[in-house]
Amino acid sequence: MKPLTINFRSKAAQTIGDEQVQNSLEHVYTGFYQGRINAAADTPNWEELRTKGKAIKDHTIAHLDHYLDMFSEKVEQSGGTVFFADNAEEARQYITELAKDRDIETVIKSKSMVSEEMSLAENMNDSGFETIETDLGEYIIQLAGETPYHLIAPAVHKSRKDVAELLDKDFEDGDRVPDATELTMLAREQLRDVFARADMSVTGVNFAVAESGSITLVTNEGNGRMSTSVPRIHVAVMGMEKIVPSIQDLSTMLRILIRSATGQRISTYVTMVNGPKTPDEEEGPDEFHVVIMNNGRLKLLKDPLLRESLNCIRCGACLNACPVYRKVGGHAYGWVYPGPIGAIVTPVITGLKDATNLPAASSLCGACHEACPVKINIPRMLLELRHKTAEGLSDPDERTSKFVERAIWKTWRIGMMGRGRFDWGARLAYLFMRPFSINGWIRKAPPPISGWTVSRDFPLIAGRSLKSRLNHRHKKEI
Amino acid sequence: MADKVSFIKQVTKALGRTKITRPKDNYDTAIFEDRNLARANAAQAVADANSMAANLIDQMVQSADDAGWKVHRADNYEESAELIVGICKDHNAKSVLRSAHSVLTDIPIDRALAASGTVLEVTEHSSQSSNRHIEKSKAAAFNADVGITGVDYAIAETGTVVLHPRAGVSRLVSLAPPTHIAVLRPGDVLASLDELFAIQRDDFLNGKLQGSMNLISGPSKTADIEGTTVTGIHGPLEVHLIVIENNKY
Amino acid sequence: MPETSNNNLGTQSVTLFATCMIDQMAPTVGESTVEVLEHLGLQVKFVDQQTCCGQPAFNSGFRSESLPVAQRFLELFEAVDGPIIVPSGSCAAMVRNFYTDLFRHDQDLVERARTLSERLYEFTEFIDHFFGSDAIAGSCDDRVTYHKCCHLLREIGIDEQPLEMLSNIDGLEMTPMNRADVCCGFGGAFSVKMPDISSAILEEKLDNIEATKANRVVAGDIGCIYQIEGGLRRRGSTTRVLHLAEILSESIRNRKTGKATE
Repeated sequence: MKPLTINFRSKAAQTIGDEQVQNSLEHVYTGFYQGRINAAADTPNWEELRTKGKAIKDHTIAHLDHYLDMFSEKVEQSGGTVFFADNAEEARQYITELAKDRDIETVIKSKSMVSEEMSLAENMNDSGFETIETDLGEYIIQLAGETPYHLIAPAVHKSRKDVAELLDKDFEDGDRVPDATELTMLAREQLRDVFARADMSVTGVNFAVAESGSITLVTNEGNGRMSTSVPRIHVAVMGMEKIVPSIQDLSTMLRILIRSATGQRISTYVTMVNGPKTPDEEEGPDEFHVVIMNNGRLKLLKDPLLRESLNCIRCGACLNACPVYRKVGGHAYGWVYPGPIGAIVTPVITGLKDATNLPAASSLCGACHEACPVKINIPRMLLELRHKTAEGLSDPDERTSKFVERAIWKTWRIGMMGRGRFDWGARLAYLFMRPFSINGWIRKAPPPISGWTVSRDFPLIAGRSLKSRLNHRHKKEI
Repeated sequence: MADKVSFIKQVTKALGRTKITRPKDNYDTAIFEDRNLARANAAQAVADANSMAANLIDQMVQSADDAGWKVHRADNYEESAELIVGICKDHNAKSVLRSAHSVLTDIPIDRALAASGTVLEVTEHSSQSSNRHIEKSKAAAFNADVGITGVDYAIAETGTVVLHPRAGVSRLVSLAPPTHIAVLRPGDVLASLDELFAIQRDDFLNGKLQGSMNLISGPSKTADIEGTTVTGIHGPLEVHLIVIENNKY
Repeated sequence: MPETSNNNLGTQSVTLFATCMIDQMAPTVGESTVEVLEHLGLQVKFVDQQTCCGQPAFNSGFRSESLPVAQRFLELFEAVDGPIIVPSGSCAAMVRNFYTDLFRHDQDLVERARTLSERLYEFTEFIDHFFGSDAIAGSCDDRVTYHKCCHLLREIGIDEQPLEMLSNIDGLEMTPMNRADVCCGFGGAFSVKMPDISSAILEEKLDNIEATKANRVVAGDIGCIYQIEGGLRRRGSTTRVLHLAEILSESIRNRKTGKATE
């Protein structure tokens, strides 16, 4: 997927002004966010589970080479085929060649963010394979020609009317808008026929298990199960970090993933695939392929401070908790992964230069860190990325800060390095700002703080510092 | 072009090492638990499922209900069969598919359904199935009104029915028909996900891991349209759990 | 007259780190802090040379500018003994939680920061820990609500304690705020770098404040206080925002005055 991170500000502003989308984003808080809070409260050992989940992922990523080796060997032992893809292009090519070689006509896709990285559905359709998204949310945005708005609910920004227009060719403005059940049944009907004739499926992977070469799919709809039951070829695509070491680890990981994503104790379906269909089975895929993707993840792995972002289990809890995401929506982030986790992985993978706004678009409130089932310290990584953009740590090309900003902070530092100049600077600011003020508040401030007074009054700096005031009270001098 | 060796080498390099090193034992992950412990855990899970059956069944009934199963408690085999026929009648079922779970021969369901005039097919498999036969089975699954299975396990923590697709238990019988009925009896219910995966791990270590596994916890659902939960998007709209209290007629 | 004994503190004297914003923009908050601490029987020292902990530059990524300022802070406060009290969750968090990353190329500085952090307390945390949330029994006839500043809540871990302190004030009616733990949108430089997002987040906070019908909002960090009050004023609201230290000192003065008139 082509990154459009450079449009962050304009897309954010557009979304903030869109009342319908703002109402939809409210559901993210009242539904998903509240769901996780309730589920956590209902789970007596919730904090222990988070600690354990973090420990499992820390260990796995610290030994990712070992576990990738184990996993791929086991998949092949079970009769599957593993393809290692350096980038999206290679992965897409492998899947397309496979489809071509096996005379595939219809491809069904189950939800996979990794497949969005390679714009798989779009490209396969262009290559002549009827490729249909089967997760309802993904189906809706495929019909709309858009990209996902949220990790778990790709069409969260669409109204019922939007959906009616997409699903029903005969729907016209002014018609009664069908309710959610009617629209869902319409989609069920449309997709059932597709399921019945699909000859290849592409799914994602929620957890890949190293010791047995298994993959697990977590869904509510049943399209994941259809994808592993009907077509003769099943391709599972995964980011290389999606591994856990043991089958037994799944009980911890499933508990924290699902409660954090939707607040459910468990999703309707959890499917574990340990290879292609067994000899005694009639249904099921003859072939099982796993495509393991790098596509820039090595950059995250290489940096000991950013490595933790690879612990992400893609639950979306950070999005739901983020006051920024809930205002700017998913598309502003410009690539596959929105929200706080997106603000880390997108710049590193697609290029910090165009994506500098992403780490900056945060009040550092820490709600994401608090929400994360595996306790990823997102604020810490946002600060790290801000440091890279401000001062171009190892790569001067990463630095995108403007001269003016650098000059401001240099001046700030000079002003803070001595009490005399600190007081003197404040006094100057007071004299300069006072004419703009009424009763201690300013309605229109000059740059660089003019942005503040577009929507808020700004306080006038005090005429006398605390030091000066305390000098007139009793205090002990140092 | 990525091949396994060079791909993994790059991962090793990114981790700051020169070759793959076996991790030291770490007990946060279960991978370092030896097979004796795994066997003991699995055995305990199965033993508890039997010794605490009544208790676990009560928990299962509650959590299954929470998860959206329509739960029916039946005293015995006859009653279970009657309940199933009743559900099929309610749905005007013309064609019913069932798996080959032993519970479905213990309860007189074939006889009862035949008596009610419903067409029943059992999902037997043959490894010599022709493509035509496979297509026919698939069509039967998509056309059936009701799918009936036993359970391989159930999980009290989450209200889950566990099925391992294999000969006699098709993947589609519990997925394609709009109504799914699962029949469970004492001894089937495990306490939690921990017990289920303990058994799976033990099976794996003994080379007996099944080809795939489906955990089913309620009717198929989605909330993708305006956050409104709707049941029955791709899988069954209605799922029924028949709980047989006593293994007798 | 101090209300409770402070014999687990081990000293009568503490040092105030005002923070740059309170020092120059909201000195009355600093004065209130001193009043409250003195009321608890403590002697409050003030390091005249203090300026800033370095957070603003650090948050904007300019660590090379932040570092010397932070180092200067460290040197100044290492020179005083005893507890250091900070009426700001974000500044206390900067020293305790973020100096490690700022100083990471110098293990010595990291160690020194860690050592200093052991005796550095956020204002509410300090009172709650050593005196108890019922230590200050003042009076104040008003209807207020409380906003949970993010760093105080998530970095320092102060959640319900300020509410307990407020409920201990005679005559004070507390109305709970919906989504009190959701950010106000300040975020330091974020408030001017991305003003439209900052304001959009603020709007929701202001709606939730107005719904409480409180006369005043209490909060623990001056940045949030300015963000919220600035927004309320722009809306034409007469609701005001004040620091916890301010309402505590006000309630102490009211109680004293009350006694004087008896």
